[in-house]
Amino acid sequence: MIEITSVSKSYNRGTVKAVDGVSLSIQDGEIFGFLGPNGAGKTTLIKMITGILNADEGSININGKDIRRDPLGAKMQFGFVPDDPNIFARLTGIEYLNFMADIYQVSSEIRLPRMQELLNRYEMANTVGDQIQSYSHGMKQKIVVIGALLHNPPVWILDEPMTGLDPRSSFDLKEMMREHADAGNTVFFSTHVLDVAEKICDRLAIINKGKVIFCGSMEEIRAHAKENQSLENLFLELTENE
Amino acid sequence: MSRFWALLKVLLINYLGVSTSQIKAKKNRIKYVKKIALGIAVVGALAPTIYLYAWLLIRGFDLLAPIGQERAILTLGLVMVSSIIFFFGVFYIINFFYFASDAQNLLALPLRAWEVLGARFAVILGYEYLTELPFLLPPLLIYGVKSGAPFVYWIYALIGYLLAPLLPLGLAAIPTVVIMRFANLSRRKDLFRILGSLVVISLAVAYQFVFQKAGPNAMDPAFIQNLLSDRNGLMNIISRVFPSTRYLGLALANADGLIGLLQLLQFAGLSFLAVALAWLVGEKLYFQGLVGSSETTARRKALKSSDYQRMSKGTSPLLSYLFKEVRLLLRTPPYFINCVLTNLLVPVLLVVPFLIQSSNQEGIMPWESLVANPKGQIILMTAITGLVMFLAGSNAISATSLSREGKEFFISKYIPLSYSKQILAKLLSAYIFGVLGAVLLILAARILIPLTISTILLLLLVSMLAMAPVIEAGLLIDIIRPKQEWGNEQQAVKQNLNVVFSMLFAVLLGGAILYTVIRFIHSPIMAVGFMLLCFALAALVLYYFLMTWGIKQYEMLEG
Repeated sequence: MIEITSVSKSYNRGTVKAVDGVSLSIQDGEIFGFLGPNGAGKTTLIKMITGILNADEGSININGKDIRRDPLGAKMQFGFVPDDPNIFARLTGIEYLNFMADIYQVSSEIRLPRMQELLNRYEMANTVGDQIQSYSHGMKQKIVVIGALLHNPPVWILDEPMTGLDPRSSFDLKEMMREHADAGNTVFFSTHVLDVAEKICDRLAIINKGKVIFCGSMEEIRAHAKENQSLENLFLELTENE
Repeated sequence: MSRFWALLKVLLINYLGVSTSQIKAKKNRIKYVKKIALGIAVVGALAPTIYLYAWLLIRGFDLLAPIGQERAILTLGLVMVSSIIFFFGVFYIINFFYFASDAQNLLALPLRAWEVLGARFAVILGYEYLTELPFLLPPLLIYGVKSGAPFVYWIYALIGYLLAPLLPLGLAAIPTVVIMRFANLSRRKDLFRILGSLVVISLAVAYQFVFQKAGPNAMDPAFIQNLLSDRNGLMNIISRVFPSTRYLGLALANADGLIGLLQLLQFAGLSFLAVALAWLVGEKLYFQGLVGSSETTARRKALKSSDYQRMSKGTSPLLSYLFKEVRLLLRTPPYFINCVLTNLLVPVLLVVPFLIQSSNQEGIMPWESLVANPKGQIILMTAITGLVMFLAGSNAISATSLSREGKEFFISKYIPLSYSKQILAKLLSAYIFGVLGAVLLILAARILIPLTISTILLLLLVSMLAMAPVIEAGLLIDIIRPKQEWGNEQQAVKQNLNVVFSMLFAVLLGGAILYTVIRFIHSPIMAVGFMLLCFALAALVLYYFLMTWGIKQYEMLEG
């Protein structure tokens, strides 16, 4: 479960408000999509949830642990897939995965079967001995996803996770997200592609210029968009982005 | 605008941060003021060293003038600056021509090899003009003022200043471009580029020593007689290390006559010839060395289950983070060359010239007599400790540990590993290479000086403690102002002022403690005890500071 309460973040000494008083509650057992055009504040909010950025105001709890007051406890609760998979280019895939397993303290008995299962699922078993810099963008994305899921975290936080994935891997990831949520866990992911959100999200929020302008199910959004001009415009913009 | 100038303009903005349109924008002004203030602060910190250099030059001038050899101070400055530019030019060129990722991207543009190489060469030249300042400006000014040089001298001095880096840079570029062309043939490119760099650096070192060694024995009376009877005698000897500098030295000394003009033209001709040759070689070979140099080989072979077993044993988060740091230092060519290699190279560079010299001349080295008396032993120990501290301050490992992470810094922010452990792992990685450097340095000292086993052990102990505060201060500096906005790895380590600050800290702390030891302590055991106490105290204070205030700063940093 993720509880976001009145979170704000601004840049340039308060002149640019990237995230403005956002409150969201993401329940266990749901896939929550975070939707918005480029530059709307999606990544900034995700970075605050994961402790990469410090919020100016508000609080963020992950499974009851506050990211500012108990950062290590909160960080153990989630697995994170960043929007840019360019990480540790000169480590081999297996070195990276073991690094992540060590950091998240995954015991050697658990890590080996888990690693092999994920590597096979994402067809990465043949490349895991090579340096990450030799990978394609999609392969890098896959190794980051595997690294994030190794410790079987209750909360998944994924920033534009489908970017660069081939259709098969994208399908697999969506399926895993569903399985994970159905097992009572939380999946929070951002996207600017409406189609992806529509297909797999239980609920979603739309953010624009740092503010959440709507939060609810897809049907609710559609119904609301007919009455609200600005939401309708944004909705159209998002549809055009597809 | 021609493509060459367009490219040069973009590179200058990107690397030197010089852009008139950006300076005009009001919001950028504070940034530039800060940059200038920082520059002044660095110069201010270096002022005592520059003052000492200028004082030595003035004394040298006064001593040499009665025997008519005062013009040698010009050559001294020129030789020094040429050697520095040549040696560091090799590093610059390797980093800037081959390891900068934007160099790769330029391959996709319709540019000729000489245009890319030439523009990058020109940017390095810009850096070298700054490097020249503290070394060449003092002798030019002192000679000019003290000898009452004519107006033409000052024009020649300005031209000479502008020309001086061309030849050493050209000479550094030629072998680098040739060797990197062949290093790029290999499938294991990272490794071979590191090896290629090693070959070029070894060649640079060998070149210097060959010229140093060549020539008559300085102790030969006939030689000294000859030296003093010729006004350019001493100048000729000094310029042997970099023969071309002789022409500029002579041009400046003979500025009032036609001969001076001819000598200046000779120097200019040689300089432009070296640049033209470098660009010509570049036109033929540069792109071939660069194309595909970012490619990496991949075996694309599944690991065996025994491999998985072996590699997935698991270790503590702290150690795992430390291994990650060490692996990236060893495998990323710019980090290896600028951080690790300097550590290993300095001890070698210190020993080789003396070995050559001692094989050249009969008799004992001056410091060998120091071992015999207690004061001498103290001087030797403090000198070696000082070198270890300087090495730890200048190897850029701890002072760039956060800078090196660059855009990947967000990983350190979201993983569940406490900042105190991350700081500890970063300290340890710097410490491992620091100890390696110290051991090599002490071994190198042992080759030159008959140190006893007990002295060596004491030295090891003192060195290991002496480098601790330097490493801690380096990390603290990098936490305060990490340089994480960079386009390629070499910028994180090569163009990072934090390294200069860390070096200055090493000089100041080492200078204060070691000076006190030499000045006031007369027994070697007392000296060792005092040094251990001081360095341990400094290390503890800084460690406490890192683990309290440093962690808070780390928390404030955003990925």
